[in-house]
Amino acid sequence: MAELYPSLAQCAIVAGALKVLLFPAYKSTDFEVHRNWLAITNSLPIQEWYYNKTSEWTLDYPPFFAAFEWLMSQAAAYIDPAMLVVKNLEYDSWQTVYFQRATVIFTELVLVFALSRFVKSVPLANKQAAHVASLSILLSPGLFIIDHIHFQYNGFMYGIMVLSIVLARKQSTLLYSGITFAALLCFKHIYLYLSLAWFVYLLRAYCLDPKNVLRPRLGNIIKLGVCVVGIFAIAFGPFVQWGQIFQLKDRLFPFSRGLCHAYWAPNIWAMYSFTDRALIPRKYLFSERGLKVLLISFIVAPRLGLPVNREALTSVTRGLVGDTSFAILPEVTKEHTFLLTFVFQLVPLVKLWFRPDWDTFVGAVTLCGYASFLFGWHVHEKAVLLIIIPFSLIALKDRRYFSAFRPLAVAGHVSLFPLLFTAAEFPLKTVYTIFWLVLFLFVFDRVAPVPERPRIFVFDRLSLLYLTISIPLIIYCSLGHYLIFGWERLQFLPLMFMSSYSALGLVGSWIGFMVVYFTA
Amino acid sequence: MAPPTPSSHRPRKKRKFPINPGSNNNLIFDNGDGKQSPTFPLVSFLWAARAGVSQWLILPLILMAVGLFRWAVGFQVPPMHGDFEAQRHWMEITQHLPMAKWYLYDLQYWGLDYPPLTAYHSWLFGKIGTAIEPAWFALDKSRGFEDPNLKVYMRATVVVSEYLVYVPAIVNFLRRYTRMQGVHAWSASIALVAVLLQPATILIDHGHFQYNTVMLGLVVASLDAILAGRMLWACIFFVGALGFKQMALYYAPVMFAYLLGVCVFPRIHIPRLINIALITAAAFALLFAPLLVGATGPEARESIASSPQPPLLQALPISLDKKSVAYAVIFQLTQTIHRVLPFARGIFEDKVANAWCAIHTFYKLNRFETSLLQRASLGATLGSIIIPCAITFRHPRASLILPAMSCVSWGFFLFSFQVHEKSVLLPLLPMTLSLAGDGGLNKENRAWVGLANILGSWTMYPLLKREELSVPYAVMTLLWAYLIGLPPLSFETYRSRSSLDDPNSQFELNVFTKLLHFAFYSAMIGWHVLEAFVEPLPGKPDLWVVLNALVGAGGFGIIYLWCMWKLITQCRRIDLQAAEEESRKKQ
Repeated sequence: MAELYPSLAQCAIVAGALKVLLFPAYKSTDFEVHRNWLAITNSLPIQEWYYNKTSEWTLDYPPFFAAFEWLMSQAAAYIDPAMLVVKNLEYDSWQTVYFQRATVIFTELVLVFALSRFVKSVPLANKQAAHVASLSILLSPGLFIIDHIHFQYNGFMYGIMVLSIVLARKQSTLLYSGITFAALLCFKHIYLYLSLAWFVYLLRAYCLDPKNVLRPRLGNIIKLGVCVVGIFAIAFGPFVQWGQIFQLKDRLFPFSRGLCHAYWAPNIWAMYSFTDRALIPRKYLFSERGLKVLLISFIVAPRLGLPVNREALTSVTRGLVGDTSFAILPEVTKEHTFLLTFVFQLVPLVKLWFRPDWDTFVGAVTLCGYASFLFGWHVHEKAVLLIIIPFSLIALKDRRYFSAFRPLAVAGHVSLFPLLFTAAEFPLKTVYTIFWLVLFLFVFDRVAPVPERPRIFVFDRLSLLYLTISIPLIIYCSLGHYLIFGWERLQFLPLMFMSSYSALGLVGSWIGFMVVYFTA
Repeated sequence: MAPPTPSSHRPRKKRKFPINPGSNNNLIFDNGDGKQSPTFPLVSFLWAARAGVSQWLILPLILMAVGLFRWAVGFQVPPMHGDFEAQRHWMEITQHLPMAKWYLYDLQYWGLDYPPLTAYHSWLFGKIGTAIEPAWFALDKSRGFEDPNLKVYMRATVVVSEYLVYVPAIVNFLRRYTRMQGVHAWSASIALVAVLLQPATILIDHGHFQYNTVMLGLVVASLDAILAGRMLWACIFFVGALGFKQMALYYAPVMFAYLLGVCVFPRIHIPRLINIALITAAAFALLFAPLLVGATGPEARESIASSPQPPLLQALPISLDKKSVAYAVIFQLTQTIHRVLPFARGIFEDKVANAWCAIHTFYKLNRFETSLLQRASLGATLGSIIIPCAITFRHPRASLILPAMSCVSWGFFLFSFQVHEKSVLLPLLPMTLSLAGDGGLNKENRAWVGLANILGSWTMYPLLKREELSVPYAVMTLLWAYLIGLPPLSFETYRSRSSLDDPNSQFELNVFTKLLHFAFYSAMIGWHVLEAFVEPLPGKPDLWVVLNALVGAGGFGIIYLWCMWKLITQCRRIDLQAAEEESRKKQ
């Protein structure tokens, strides 16, 4: 009998204790965003939710999330009514902070529930591996940094996603999987990135006959269709009725943003931009002033909301704040990114079409996450969870999967470090992430079974080399750099190293996983 | 048959480890159908390690995890007054003033009142801090300085000091102690986590802000040296502890009795006694040397000559030229001692859960003269520590030193003069360390050590609440109680479910103990409810605080008696074993 200790609940309790202690820690503007949404949904009629512009942080999540905020605001009224006043911008009494932080911890129970369902759904022989994987998701430094310090509700959202993936395991619950995923899309539309995998899988495994592609199962098609359309109708119907649907579209999909986010998410475009910068004549790039301007434009200004002197920038960085433009390399348009994302999502989906089983499905979800993260337009570094969390579910299938997962685990989490830039949070993010990496990479290594197929030797060595580099890199970026250059000079250098290192790891693990996926 | 010839071959010593790693400690519960489950949550967190995982992996993980909690406790509202400002101020004055003025400068504003090692420690971290940001420790201008980065730096110095002194000392001590007692390495790791997550210590050092762990760490290092048989190192570390915080005096009688004991029993060993005396004197001399040398310069003598004399110096029957070197040295020494030892204050400060405060509630003690009270408290303290000291002196065994230390420090806490509520950390340390001993994690020991720790942090609640540390208090105390399997979150420890053939059945708690513990836990919970929702009677604003101190004093008294009983039974067991071996040899 596999021993499942410590249990999910025990870990949730101890992690919860740490999270409660961190209530007063740094919180990003996302905290104010969500407070504002609480206020909007509580005090305004639904028709005005998507029109209110009192705060710059307008409501830009789909209706279910707005309803979720409304629900929480009912409880918030008992805690501190002042946080529900739309005009109270930047309001953060300790009651507000405690309330909002507590809702994050509380709603994360959805994730705990989904993970326990996941462990239950696994056959006995693989239970221990599934349990370890669940713990790794529950204690993920990604969720810890993004949700409990930076402030968001990813634990809740990914809980719904994991639940939907678990429900997809059995033929009898496939319908519920589709419904849950549709509901998830109405909570947060970032999951559209993964939706093709669900679409193909449900179509192939639920709507068509497993043995014969040409024999549709009409009953199933109708059931699924009615349910999914029903969910969307509940979410968006009223807004269609009021003629607000185009306003929603503009809020949900603000295409006025640039190619790269303020801090480059470690993806292809970061590498592309980096190459472009590297091709700019040296004297600009490596002059102190040029670097400072670069630093301000990427890191500091967007975070602190500082006004940026565009003219000073354009000479060196060529207007990176708004639309990205490149000095040497050809321009990248939205259409390019969409095409690339679509193509690289399509490739794994072809395999899913021909082999619609659960493992391939989760693999396809992961690869859709990879494609959209690596090639997407204006990708945020937080989106890396779109890859890590589904991948964790199958990372312990065998050692080949695990060796593709390893660089992702390191790069993905390290790339989140710049989200927290205050001194007090620095030891937290580093120690927590190192703790997680040491613990889970070691345990995974013990638990992952030997694969049926031989491993790719070169790939393994490269992955090990990559892992080893992380140690001096983290030391350099956290301490070494400041000892050599002091706190003021070349601040962006560690960030650039981290970003490039992470991008390398992500692309590497993507290629590695593609190989594993297609040879499995 | 010829008698066996003595040969160089000896059979390999049988490992003393029990086959089942948790057999002596109530760690694993056998469900009867071949399935095993951990008895309390902390065991299940280390469940995967019971097959023996390298310490190189477990130790860093444990240290990182407990480090996260330490750092997280420090996130509360910055304590910009009280001990935080005092410590910062000391870094400031040791930076900018000559040593001669350290114990003299503007004593009204958080004057330095700890022994020299604290001053040197402040100097070191002040130097490093000044190199980072000079404004943090600018003389006089930095008073009450509020800067988030300063707070981070100061918190970091606590963590760094703790990880350089306390943590290595605890890790080494536990390793040696568990090996000596034949406890499985897995049990030792569990005990290590329990010790390092001790709520009271974390709350005071990382929440309230102090450097107690440096002193406690030096004491543990001294204990470790005793276990290793290195008496001279034990002296040096203990002098270091005394030189960091005078509170280490609570342990001094046991150390003294032990060190004297090893020179007398089993046979008198004069050179060892002389060595110990010399090394202790040398350590003290070294400790004070920089301060005293610093007082001999012409400028220093000038400033000392113009300062008011400390009472201790006035009492000396000698008269010296005020400008002479000897005067400066003696002045500096007596001034330091005067600052460090609080003879001039009342019998207790605030509300402390000790005997005097409890008596005072019903029978006002301020009707007596201070000197009488001082003598009474001296007598009571001596009375409370005489038995453990005598036992330690007669049986200087390393295995008895932890219970003896618990007894003596409880005696000091309950009866001595000028006790602070934070002093409860001292008796809690040796008690909590006993979790690592043979059978240390069995139900009985766990229940008593647990009660002491939870009661200890509960009596500090009024202090912590004043500093807005209620949340860390609740989280850390409940977390520890949860991990160890104690009320209010779990009654596992108090549930008897062993059969007669279970070797652990002797550790089941008896009904009387259970009722007693439940009474205390319900009193604590009830008190929190009262304190939160009921206004104290008019005219008695301190009612709840006094009630807290009374319950605490009662509990600590009982725990003191339990420690004493434990010490005596352990000592008798050792005596019996020795006698048995003796008689076997005679046959």
